[in-house]
Amino acid sequence: MSAPHLLASGSGDEFEAPGLEIFHWGPLFPDGPSWLHWLTKPTLIVALAGLIAIVFAWRAFAGAQLVPRGMQNVGEVAYLFVRDQVARPMLGRDGDRWMPFLFSTFFFILFMNWMGVVPVLYLPVNSHIAFPIVFAIAVYVMMLFLGIKHQGLVGYFKNMMFPPGLPKPLYVILAPIELLSNLILRPFTHSVRLFANMFAGHLLLAFFASVAYWFLVEKLTVLGAGVGIVGFVMTIVMTAFELFIQALQAFIFTLLAASYIQSGLHADH
Amino acid sequence: MVRPAMSEEGHRPDPQDSEESEQDRIDAEHRGFANAAWSIPSYILSGMAVYGGLGWLLDRWLGTSALFPIGILVGLALALYLVFHRYGRTS
Amino acid sequence: MLAEAVNVLAGSDSVTGSLGSVAYGLAAIGPGIGVGIIFGQGVQAIARQPELTNVIRQNMLLGFALTEALALIGFVVPFVHK
Repeated sequence: MSAPHLLASGSGDEFEAPGLEIFHWGPLFPDGPSWLHWLTKPTLIVALAGLIAIVFAWRAFAGAQLVPRGMQNVGEVAYLFVRDQVARPMLGRDGDRWMPFLFSTFFFILFMNWMGVVPVLYLPVNSHIAFPIVFAIAVYVMMLFLGIKHQGLVGYFKNMMFPPGLPKPLYVILAPIELLSNLILRPFTHSVRLFANMFAGHLLLAFFASVAYWFLVEKLTVLGAGVGIVGFVMTIVMTAFELFIQALQAFIFTLLAASYIQSGLHADH
Repeated sequence: MVRPAMSEEGHRPDPQDSEESEQDRIDAEHRGFANAAWSIPSYILSGMAVYGGLGWLLDRWLGTSALFPIGILVGLALALYLVFHRYGRTS
Repeated sequence: MLAEAVNVLAGSDSVTGSLGSVAYGLAAIGPGIGVGIIFGQGVQAIARQPELTNVIRQNMLLGFALTEALALIGFVVPFVHK
């Protein structure tokens, strides 16, 4: 967890852009007892993000009053946002029933993503594909369960694989495409969208920050200072941009989760 | 005092109101569009994966090298046909 | 000093690393612009003529599918042509 290692990865005289090594985090206490080796920086940040989400919801909704004050104002705006932008448009009349799941998913992922621009932490946890995969699998299992429960085992797969109105021989050719698209590529693209955005964003931020650090602090020259200043400005601009992208990706992940839940509840025609 | 303002803010009328079904219809259309837009890339990818994979296996079996790209293009065409059939009907 | 700046700005005189990734990056430029144009113009068309929303949305989807296919072809070409 050495900061110089992160900021300037090259040991020689030439500037080296940060690579994949900025995503590798060993145990937080390598000299500690072996039962503590699961505690890495990503797991610490996940726990922190979960704690923030719990505290936020607790402060906002515990002992809610008719006339909101304090955190309850923020909580109600957040709740209305998720309900009117995600739950009701995607799930229709079932939307309000699914609000607890969608609200907590959205804010857990949002806080995890925003950890990427919090000083000292600086790591969007979803840039490790393990975390988005787990979320996507949870939604996927829920979708399968709901689909089989509401449409029946045969009916669910029939609705999925055989869109009505095609000539019979074509079903043999097109059914594998439908099956692969709905059963395998859906959770895959669902998680990869979140993962790839966080990964690329973090890499971009690290690149500009290390350009600024290298040319302004480590190797300050007249010509290099210009590059360093560009890197410094771009770091600030990209941080603002990342704030937006991180919120957008959390929103899209929740939107798609709602859409998949809906596809389990009702067959699309 | 607070109540009327709050109920005005929720843009949804009562379930008995006839505008509710109108809102439901708009929601359903929007939902269909969003689902289609999000699922098109995975349809195209899966078409290329299924028939490209088939071509790749045939290539390994027969010792040729042309079937893999041909399979990818065929899968692409079939996936586009499926997308056009599913979402391109003028209703 | 000068050489260092030139090195940073121009890299070295040859492209190294995975050419497939570079190719996909180049191949994604066109479809990226295309998808932006399709949805931008589609939203504009819906704003001008809201009564034609359904027709416009369908055509948006078809154009989007064709454009997206180009991007995905760029994605698989490195696997085909090693």
